[in-house]
Amino acid sequence: MGVNLRELVPKTVVRLEDLSGKKIAIDAYNALYQFLAIIRQPDGTPLKDHTGKVTSHLSGLFYRTSNLLELGIKPIYVFDGTPPALKEVEIKRRVEAKEEATIKYEQALAQGKIEEARMYAQATSRLHDYMEDDSKRLLTLMGIPWIQAPSEGEAQAAHLTKRGDADYCASQDYDSLLFGAPMLIRNVTISGRRKLPGKNVYIDVVPEVIKLDDVLKECGITYEQLIDVGILIGTDFNPDGIKGLGPKTALKLIKEHGTLEKALPHIKNAEFPHPPEKIREIFLQPKVSDDYTLKWQEPDVEGIVDFLVGEKDFSEDRVRKAIEKMQEGSRKLAGKTTLEKWFG
Amino acid sequence: MFKLKVSDAKLLRDMVTAISILVDEATFKIEPEGLKLRAMDPSRVAMIDFEWPKTVFEEYVCEAPSKMCINISELLRLLKRAGKDEAVELSLDEKTGRLQIKITGKYSRNFNMPTLEASEEEVPTPKITFNVKAKATTQGLSQAIEDAQLVSDHVRIEADTEKLVLNATGDLMGATITLQKGSDALLDLEVKENSKATFSLSYLAEIIKAASATSDIATLEFSTDMPIKIDFQQTKEGKLTFFLAPRIESE
Repeated sequence: MGVNLRELVPKTVVRLEDLSGKKIAIDAYNALYQFLAIIRQPDGTPLKDHTGKVTSHLSGLFYRTSNLLELGIKPIYVFDGTPPALKEVEIKRRVEAKEEATIKYEQALAQGKIEEARMYAQATSRLHDYMEDDSKRLLTLMGIPWIQAPSEGEAQAAHLTKRGDADYCASQDYDSLLFGAPMLIRNVTISGRRKLPGKNVYIDVVPEVIKLDDVLKECGITYEQLIDVGILIGTDFNPDGIKGLGPKTALKLIKEHGTLEKALPHIKNAEFPHPPEKIREIFLQPKVSDDYTLKWQEPDVEGIVDFLVGEKDFSEDRVRKAIEKMQEGSRKLAGKTTLEKWFG
Repeated sequence: MFKLKVSDAKLLRDMVTAISILVDEATFKIEPEGLKLRAMDPSRVAMIDFEWPKTVFEEYVCEAPSKMCINISELLRLLKRAGKDEAVELSLDEKTGRLQIKITGKYSRNFNMPTLEASEEEVPTPKITFNVKAKATTQGLSQAIEDAQLVSDHVRIEADTEKLVLNATGDLMGATITLQKGSDALLDLEVKENSKATFSLSYLAEIIKAASATSDIATLEFSTDMPIKIDFQQTKEGKLTFFLAPRIESE
């Protein structure tokens, strides 16, 4: 589930309001999985339309995106393409984890253990093709640009940020930093309050910005070295990392020895599913595309209502209210500039 | 070692109020010749550029240049406890990193508050060639802004050689406010080129309201679709200048 750099990165808490006018490239799969996991009934059943098709992802995508638009933020959704071949271990692991969670979910449900059922249900989320199609259709109706990445969505989102087409790359995972995103923002697509898994405790989830430059400065390493640290901890392409090796030790080893290759002889049990230099190459030379256009357009109001209310059984009242609010946001945004434009 | 003292708390309170409308946390530059602050609001639409030379203070001690970041609204809450003619002394306890606030008048109280990690960001000032320079009373400006706020949330400011015009258009109503050159409100007007630019009224209103407490006369400089610079002439020495980014309607 992405590289665990949490302990190593300095972050700044921001308010969503302060991101008004900013373009944010959102890792679409990452966001949709969150919606599918979180937006569920108390017993873990996802939202569904009258035909039994899941609509949790649409609910999240619609209300969360309209919330961003209301604040004058310009989202861009980036969808995954074909995963790199090296990811097969992680993909297999995820499929197995979901199968296991599904069995436990059904058991818990049969035993009437609602809380437990919900917890397992969150881990069963699968992103089916129809969900991706639904999501793209909704975004088009909302006038939001979306991009089909040739491979990893995160890599493409990082690429947009590097090129200056987006101000931030939004994802929960830190991999975007390894893909070279200069600015990563977390907690953009989830709501302000989140329940801690398995506990009746809520925490406030606030957006946080992580600057690649700050990470490198704080750690005292280069970008290439950060990738090596990531590989030692474990990435989607070697999910287990190296047994018993945490972020701090990984950083220390790379700082001491300079590169992964030089550090390896000093590490016990260093095993990789793929040659580490191949993994590094995915981050350094990711498959990305320059072939995209970014245009934010007026929403097709009746189109959205037909789709969400007519086909997907959403409440018309709530949908229309959300559309009104997002239109108001884009009106406010029209013509807004920031002083940075004149810093020369 | 850093310490400053003002004999009239109002001076300090009004200045901190003016800063508080744009930033929650402010990083001051403490230099031997005085106190400085340049910061943008989080959405980077507006900037404050503030300088107080040491001569403003009754007492000012700074042995080596340093930075100090404080929570402005917390500081303001404390300063509001000081009456008009009470003296305020601020000093930094270098051992604890806490700011000591001593208010003395009818009786004396010592507050202390933490300082925060100073921002490393060096904020430049916008580079703009201004075509209009207008000198107005802050009272006249406040009135004009209040008029415009009745009908809209933004205002177009236009100038030709004779007058300064504020044009506000709302959903239902509109307003045109004219300040003639040489009138009581508009003391002076220099126009190199007729110009117009649109700005958010909520920013303008807050800036002018807060800064008016420290100043009677403001100099506005702007050009078509460029940020506006508003300099509030200080009664004592010192500088209080704001920049505000425009709204560009055709975009």
